[in-house]
Amino acid sequence: MEVGRLPISASQRGKLISAGYTTLSSLSSLSPSDLALGAQTAWDMLHEDEMFPRITTSCLDLDNVLGGGINCKEVTEIGGVPGIGKTQLGIQLAVNVQIPVDYGGLGAKAIYIDTEGSFMVERVLQIAEACIEDMTECNGLLRKDFQAGQLKMHPNNILENIFYFRVCSYTEQIALTNYLDKFISEHKDVKVVIVDSVTFHFRQDFDDMALRTRLLSGIALKLMKLAKEHGLAVVLLNQVTTKYIEGSFQLTLALGDSWSHSCTNRVILYWNGNERYAYIDKSPSLRSASAPYSVTSKGIRNSASNCKRIRMM
Amino acid sequence: MTPENLLLRPLITQKCTLGCPVLDRCLGGGIPCNSITELVAESGCGKTQICLQLALTAQLPIPLGGLSASSIFIHTEFPFPSRRLHQLSLAFRSSHPPIFGGDPCDYIFVQGVHSVDQLLGILTKMEQFVENSRAQLPVRLIVIDSIAALFRSEFDNTPVELKRRSSLFFKISGKLKSLAKRFGLAVVVTNQVVDLVGPEGINGLRIGNLASLCSSGRRVCPALGLAWANCVNSRLFLARHEEVDKEENELVDVNLQSTRSRRRLHVVFAPHLPESCCEFVITRKGIFGVEREQNAAKRNEA
Repeated sequence: MEVGRLPISASQRGKLISAGYTTLSSLSSLSPSDLALGAQTAWDMLHEDEMFPRITTSCLDLDNVLGGGINCKEVTEIGGVPGIGKTQLGIQLAVNVQIPVDYGGLGAKAIYIDTEGSFMVERVLQIAEACIEDMTECNGLLRKDFQAGQLKMHPNNILENIFYFRVCSYTEQIALTNYLDKFISEHKDVKVVIVDSVTFHFRQDFDDMALRTRLLSGIALKLMKLAKEHGLAVVLLNQVTTKYIEGSFQLTLALGDSWSHSCTNRVILYWNGNERYAYIDKSPSLRSASAPYSVTSKGIRNSASNCKRIRMM
Repeated sequence: MTPENLLLRPLITQKCTLGCPVLDRCLGGGIPCNSITELVAESGCGKTQICLQLALTAQLPIPLGGLSASSIFIHTEFPFPSRRLHQLSLAFRSSHPPIFGGDPCDYIFVQGVHSVDQLLGILTKMEQFVENSRAQLPVRLIVIDSIAALFRSEFDNTPVELKRRSSLFFKISGKLKSLAKRFGLAVVVTNQVVDLVGPEGINGLRIGNLASLCSSGRRVCPALGLAWANCVNSRLFLARHEEVDKEENELVDVNLQSTRSRRRLHVVFAPHLPESCCEFVITRKGIFGVEREQNAAKRNEA
């Protein structure tokens, strides 16, 4: 009997046929798990996780608390006060995702969505030059024995591989988020999408706050889907605001309670005395922990108070 | 929707010189375009002076660090300091050859604003104004002096009002950034300070490179709170403190020691600048940075 004649819904029929099952006999020998094409065993998922490299932040301590770096296939939210280094971290990730596979990176490209106008090309070039310098140094230290090719990256290459979008309103932001799936399908080497910041255009007055919540959930869902389907990392930079709880103020990430459920991982950047720290606030797989980091002319680096370490890749 | 080709952008963001190489060096070239820079200071520290000076230096040709542009100067405190502007423009004209063959003040469009609603109205009309200005000398600098004055009297201290105030910050900032991006404008907004009574509380929250902001011997913090801080790209702090004149220490009776006003410009946060500060003076001719002696010596050696 033809699959086309089976009393099942059109979408189910379509899925069976596109998977190559056109007759009943072809189905009869299968077990349910064979048909559940999207399902995986937990073992398979663990294996897959190990195969997805993480994007380094260039700060060893920060990478450590992140389990190696920013995870692909997940949405990570990073929030903090102005001047703590959110944009700096965003730019560092847009550069580091391009580190070639030979050097322990992903050799991929980045999408940078700028909603605030803090992205400045001269700073990106500074960070890109420092990244190339570090790799060349590593080349010199470790690869004397190898015939590996000379590092041929130039800071302009790094600029070229960042797809930069500037959005000036929440409608533009939503339209762009909807467009990303198509763009990424055409540019399969994009492995990180950074939104700096996801908040800015949504903090204006919305006559209908329920609308704002709906729009934000829509964005969150689309981004989660992008991360999962294309195996890329989504990094959302967020602002902080104050919330009055039990008579005293508390710092909290902006966009409200309903948004706080939309991200897989949450990192909070804060000042501890004169040092910058990152705190893993929420993560399904990482322990809550803090790590110090610093912002230097080279970008994000280890905190200066720790002794110097050579980054081995 | 296509991404912007970053290689087509100038490799260094265009900036408007402050008219002094020492100050420019501290700021990485000057006030950047396509960005909002906030000047925070207590009264009498030089915020308005810098703004007036910028409105003149913006008219300089691009090879001299200017924007070859006219500017819009929105003021919220009255009266507008026209006499000081005139004094600065005379100094400007004498130190630079005639650029446009007219009074530099003709290229500064001044508008007084009394309320937030009026400001929003003006921002809406500004797009057309800037567009039209392209025919003669295009507008490339917008100054708002000061933003704080508009907000400090209109809003009660209740959570609902503060929330409404915050939304207005983002609305104003959104419009300014949109204009800045569309026309490549440099936007400068000045802000006042409030005294910090205790280190605890939201006002004691550290924002930026300085653990605390001090001016005239008191701890201060920028007005308008955390919400407004999220609306600007860069924040510069002008501080003043009295210093005892060291030279006269031994010779003069302690009770008669004279003090000198020392002024400093600090970078509190900026996406393209490291922490830095620079001393400056205010003279008849304008605001000028003072180079530290050891830096001047190093540069002379090189």
